[in-house]
Amino acid sequence: MKEFTETLYDACGQTFRIDKLYFEHKTDHQHLMIFHNSFLGRVMTLDGVVQTTERDEFIYHEMMAHVPLLAHGHACRVLIIGGGDGGMLREVLKHPLVEQATMVEIDQQVIEMAKQFLPNHSSGAFDDARADIVIADGMDFVRGSSERFDVIISDSTDPIGPGEVLFSSDFYAYSSKLLNPGGVMVAQNGVPFFQLDEVRTTRQKMGAQFSDQTFYSAAVPTYYGGIMTFAWGSDTPALRRHDLNVIIERYRRAHLTTRYYTPQIHQASFVLPKYIEDALATEPG
Amino acid sequence: MNQRHISYGIEPEALAVYQALVQEHGSPLLVISRHKLVGQYRALTRQLPGVSLYYAIKALPNPEVIRILAEQGCHFDVASAGEIELLQPQLISGRKTIHTHPIKKDRDIRAALRGGSTTFVVDNIDELKKLRAYRHRVGVLLRVSFRSASAAVDLSRKFGCSPDQVEDIVLQSRELGVHIRGLSFHVGSQSLDPQAHVDAIRLCGGLINQINQGSVNPMNLLDIGGGFPVDYACENPDMDAYFTAIRAALYELPEDIDLIAEPGRFLVAPAVTGISTITGKARRGDYQWYYLDDGIYGSYSGQLFDHVQYPLQITSNDLAREPSILSGPTCDSIDIIAEDILLPEMREGDLVVGHMMGAYTAATATRFNSLDCAKIILQD
Repeated sequence: MKEFTETLYDACGQTFRIDKLYFEHKTDHQHLMIFHNSFLGRVMTLDGVVQTTERDEFIYHEMMAHVPLLAHGHACRVLIIGGGDGGMLREVLKHPLVEQATMVEIDQQVIEMAKQFLPNHSSGAFDDARADIVIADGMDFVRGSSERFDVIISDSTDPIGPGEVLFSSDFYAYSSKLLNPGGVMVAQNGVPFFQLDEVRTTRQKMGAQFSDQTFYSAAVPTYYGGIMTFAWGSDTPALRRHDLNVIIERYRRAHLTTRYYTPQIHQASFVLPKYIEDALATEPG
Repeated sequence: MNQRHISYGIEPEALAVYQALVQEHGSPLLVISRHKLVGQYRALTRQLPGVSLYYAIKALPNPEVIRILAEQGCHFDVASAGEIELLQPQLISGRKTIHTHPIKKDRDIRAALRGGSTTFVVDNIDELKKLRAYRHRVGVLLRVSFRSASAAVDLSRKFGCSPDQVEDIVLQSRELGVHIRGLSFHVGSQSLDPQAHVDAIRLCGGLINQINQGSVNPMNLLDIGGGFPVDYACENPDMDAYFTAIRAALYELPEDIDLIAEPGRFLVAPAVTGISTITGKARRGDYQWYYLDDGIYGSYSGQLFDHVQYPLQITSNDLAREPSILSGPTCDSIDIIAEDILLPEMREGDLVVGHMMGAYTAATATRFNSLDCAKIILQD
């Protein structure tokens, strides 16, 4: 029997049965696998770490797309950094107000591979006329772009690895300059139960670029370790102080079909457990 | 340093094999025997039952060796990002590794974590602090040093804290929130006396017991290092007696302590044969000089760095012998493999075979004089 065991943590971890291996790609610095698991459906792993599974990707993608877009309320132009599997693009393009969704992926091959082996993730989003696919380094793009966006979503890999630069002060600084007034940036920020310092570090680095910086959370079962956090950066604190009825109305007007996201979850997701609040009250160490 | 062993004459069948290999691949060569490599691995698993073996890649960082050992169920001891990269093409999970370099840059730690290698070795508080940011991801072993008077290579001078520092470092690690999972030691290499290993195992067992008393987060791992001797001097030492003593010491440890070892030399040294060719000769004074196409800057680098005299075998068993010198191919005068040895007359094109040439040979070979390193090939 073939198995995949995650290599994130020394003391514990999770193991998946590989029922069928669809794709395996080994470059000098990356090892990518897509396999089928009878419960989770297709599972994509990179360098020993689960990236996404068909069974629970909806939680991650809905929460990273709908929370900032509905908090913004009239986002027309959205920038996605990373997100080569197309799941984030799919959720963003569900919003009728979105006129353009620019997705900056560093590797064309990831997109091709995802289209072929994870077609349910993008679910046709790559063919949407509003999708603007750019093959570039995310850092180079935010440094060089003169476009402006209402929402920026950083759908990166783990900070230890190829996505490291997407957790840097420079990345947050350049991104903040691409936001229209009233805009918001959100970024994948790991599982704080194991990686508490990442929350502290992001607070320090992102907080230096945005007057309003916080986190919201959701539990994605195959991101082992309980809730994950999403970093939130904006110069408009009002974006996360809406009355629930405002979000309910926006959700209704957008005609979204969701499986995890609800306006109530939206509001509640900004409430953080005490251990994270306590960590944010102390310096990174 | 061991006494040089020279054997005269090569069985016709063996010679035919060597000649065919040189015909096909050129000279010089390092020939890995799969059969002998697997034999060494199995011998060590028999001698050390219950001990997980982590091959120290540095001894011979060769993809074929790694593949064969992985097939046997071996794990890997890595000490650099480059060594981790050697495992990745073979799709060996980082969970099967331990990162043993006690001194690291942050970049090294991150590269190891990215490679899935989560168990690290430290020997002081400053190094422990470097792991603090990753404390929920990593497992940490504390390296203890025990000086060995009889070992050919003393590994306890450069790394390791002294046994009396252990408790203090463990206490400080608790304050830092970094859990020390266990202890590791290296008593040095090539000592035929198991006493250093036995003493170190007992002392570490005592330290672990002492620290675990009243600890809510007990240590559970002892890494007994490597350094298990191989027979460069062709003296057939009693390895059973050597390992029996080590097993007895391990048996005294509490049952719930996991054991690992990091053999390098023991696994690969006997599995590799060096084949070089006489490219020229000269009579200088009282000595007959023979110039080979491999030498101290190549596969025989271990004679300098590793203090080993490899057993040599020459083709002729003629009893008429004269004082001779075997020289390597570079222009440097230190490039001499063996001097003042008695050899029968040899001809240009004759082969010279070096045995037990798997460990710290190719690993430390240079390309001085822009000479190619010996080609490494796999046999049987």
